[in-house]
Order: sequence, then structure tokens, then C-alpha cells
Amino acid sequence: MKRNYDVDVLIEKFKKKDKIALARLITLVENNPETTTNIFNNFNGSEKDSYIIGITGSPGVGKSTLVNALSKILLESGKSIGIISVDPTSPFTGGAFLGDRVRMTDVSLHPNIFIRSLASRGYKGGISRAVFDISLLYEAFGMDFIIIETVGVGQSEFDIYNLAYTTVVIMVPGYGDSIQIQKAGIIEVGDIYVVNKKDLGGEDIVVQMEMMLDDATIQSGWRAPVVMTNSITGEGVNSLIEKIMDHKEHLELSELLKEKKKHRFAYKIEELLSSKIGKVLESLISKDDLNKISNSVLQGKKFKIYDMVHHLFSNVKFEMKKSD
Amino acid sequence: MSKPGIDGHWRGGVVVSRGLRDAGMEVIFGGFQNVEQIVESAISEDVDVIGLSMHSGAHLTYTERVINLLKEKGVKDHFLILVGGVIPVKDFLVLKEMGVANVYGPGTVVRDIVKFIVENIKK
Repeated sequence: MKRNYDVDVLIEKFKKKDKIALARLITLVENNPETTTNIFNNFNGSEKDSYIIGITGSPGVGKSTLVNALSKILLESGKSIGIISVDPTSPFTGGAFLGDRVRMTDVSLHPNIFIRSLASRGYKGGISRAVFDISLLYEAFGMDFIIIETVGVGQSEFDIYNLAYTTVVIMVPGYGDSIQIQKAGIIEVGDIYVVNKKDLGGEDIVVQMEMMLDDATIQSGWRAPVVMTNSITGEGVNSLIEKIMDHKEHLELSELLKEKKKHRFAYKIEELLSSKIGKVLESLISKDDLNKISNSVLQGKKFKIYDMVHHLFSNVKFEMKKSD
Repeated sequence: MSKPGIDGHWRGGVVVSRGLRDAGMEVIFGGFQNVEQIVESAISEDVDVIGLSMHSGAHLTYTERVINLLKEKGVKDHFLILVGGVIPVKDFLVLKEMGVANVYGPGTVVRDIVKFIVENIKK
């Protein structure tokens, strides 16, 4: 039996808000990026802008459960939501165990929600390559909100910041002392900070976060708030939604939302260009060339590697035709 | 990978999911789900295979309901359906006649499930 992925048929159904068509188009853009151009050409003129919320934090802090709790409230207020939940791909086998949806069973049957799990498939930065493309599909589908949940992140996986308009960083009691909180990276990208699992304590983290945020230089006119939640009981979740809406309003009233939107596309354009240049480079410099370099390194030339790479690259000529 | 109903025997579903993960597959673990939730997940995630893990004795009822709902939505043939758990051998044929591609009872080796999926996946 053949599975049906006829783009024209799917687009027609998609435009009638058919979720099966949405699901299959996501499969196409995820598995065959070369189909994306053709698919996206069908949406020219669609002006719907969704509001994108990013949820990030270490493994096990309660991201999926919190997404479930947030969605419940947004759905009650009549909003439609597209969720993208990313979990890591094994670097050894390429397999993945995706366990985010299992926390969202409560809301999964609501007609105004669509949940898709993604494996990171080797993409660094806490998301996956297809996240941007799927967010565009959700916009074309007419979602009011898009919630992107990252993989459980470490200190330096904060690509979500490039895609989301409001980034929520989730922490839990026992995060670390005042030194941990001064570190660069994940702890500075939040527009809102959540200390989840408040039943386990966490007041000390809130105090330290507040002190750190008081000391931080604020350029955007937004001082990130800290909210305590218990995502299982729903405690504090209303207050989190309020903060998200406050931040949304802050961005809308200033020029910042426009900047964020522009940045989201600039980020993707840069990524697409580097990937194209990467492919050109691969075709110009053969595996044999690379092999030769690595071999000669082993023959007493290890301090020459910069010279050798420079030499190899000096023979590569990129040319770009100017066009209007 | 889903567990229809509220039968609490998670081990089988988890072990098989882990085995499939280690064979390089992406496994969406649904946990406890009702029939509607199973079908909705399979559609939204656009999976290749639906795995139903049951140890409650209700495998015939649940499988039939899942398959009927898939047919109602017109997507039954889009998926490969596998059933596993404590399933009496006498029910294997009944399940296959309903439209299940294969059934795995106690003592199954995960490698065999991997092999079957790889050979039978619908392209």
C-alpha cells in the first residue's frame, strides 16, 4: 500500500483546515526539505501572524507539563494553538524516544490544538531544523499561538531565542547558587523565568534570580519577571500567562516585535545560506583532500594545520552574480 | 506506542519502545490513551506504525475500536498496526483478521519486531 503525499491534494485539504493534511505536510517539510519551496509557494498572500512562545529549560524541569497547563488556559479563552515539542536524537543510533506528548493528553483532543513531536536529528541548539518550517505551516493554518518546546537544554543551547517572541526559561528548586545564576547563556535569554515544582521549595532561587535581574543591564525596556508555578496542579500558571501577555503587549507597543519577527527570518536565511555554501564547499574540496591533510598532520605537521587549511581554501573561488 | 485503557503494565511498551529507539527509529511514547487519543496522536504525528501494548485482556475490544475509528477517518491503510502484550495465541488470527499486521506475545525478541517493521513499512 502506498502512503498518499500528493502535495496538491494536501494543500487543498490544508486550506480547508484539515489536520490530516497539516500532519502530512509537516512530514514532507521535515523529511524532504526540497519539497518546502513548492509547498510554501501555495501560501503566498497569507498574512496570518501567529504569536510564538518558546519554552526551554533543563531535562525534567516540567516543560511539557507546563505547555499542557498553558494550552488549557489559552484554549479556554478561545485561542488556537500549534505545539512543536522537540526531544533529542541519539548520536549513536539516530533513534529517539519522544516523550512530550504523553504529558499533553489532557488537551490533545481539543479541536483548536495541534501537537507535533520532533526529534532533533543532529541539529544543535535545542531545536531541530524543521522547527522554523513547521512554525510557518502553523501560521498558514491560522494558529493564534505557536508554542515551541525545546529539548532539555544545557547552558548553551538557546537557539529558541532566535525564533520565539517570548522566551520562557524554566528552572526548578536546587538550580544552583548565586554564581550559577551569573553565568552567560541560557540564564540570560529569558523574557520570563519560571521556578516550577514550587511544592519542593525554590524561594531561594527566586530571590537570587530577582537580585541578578536587578543588576542586569536592560536594553529592551523589559525587566524579566520571575514566576513560581506547579505545573501539575496549575498553581501559578495563570500568573505566567499574564506575564506572557504583558510581554507580548510590551513588544507590540514598541518596535520590538517587528525586530523579533525580522530576526526570526534573518536567522533562518543565514542558516539556509550557510547550508548551501557548505554543500558547495563539499563539492569543491574532496574527501581525498581532507584525508591528505589529516594524514600529513600525523607526520609531524600538527602545527601546520592552519597553514594547510588556508592554502586549500585559497584555491576556492566563490563568485556571486549581482542581481536586482 | 500506546497503552489503551488504564492497564498499568508499562514495562512491555517501554522496553519495546527503547528497543526500537536503539534500532534508529523515532518512537512517540503515548502512554495511557483512550481510543480517540490514540487515533488523534497517530494522525497528528503522521507515524508509520501504531503500536498497541495491552496486558489487560481487553485487546480484542480496544484493537477493534482503534481500527474502526481509523476506518471512519479514512486513514486505516496509512498505518502499519502492531499489537503486543499478554495475548493468547488463539487471538492472533482474530486480530490479524481485524487488520493488525502482526501480533507479539510474551517471549518476543525486539529484534524480530524491528525486522518486521523495516520489511513492511508503507512507503
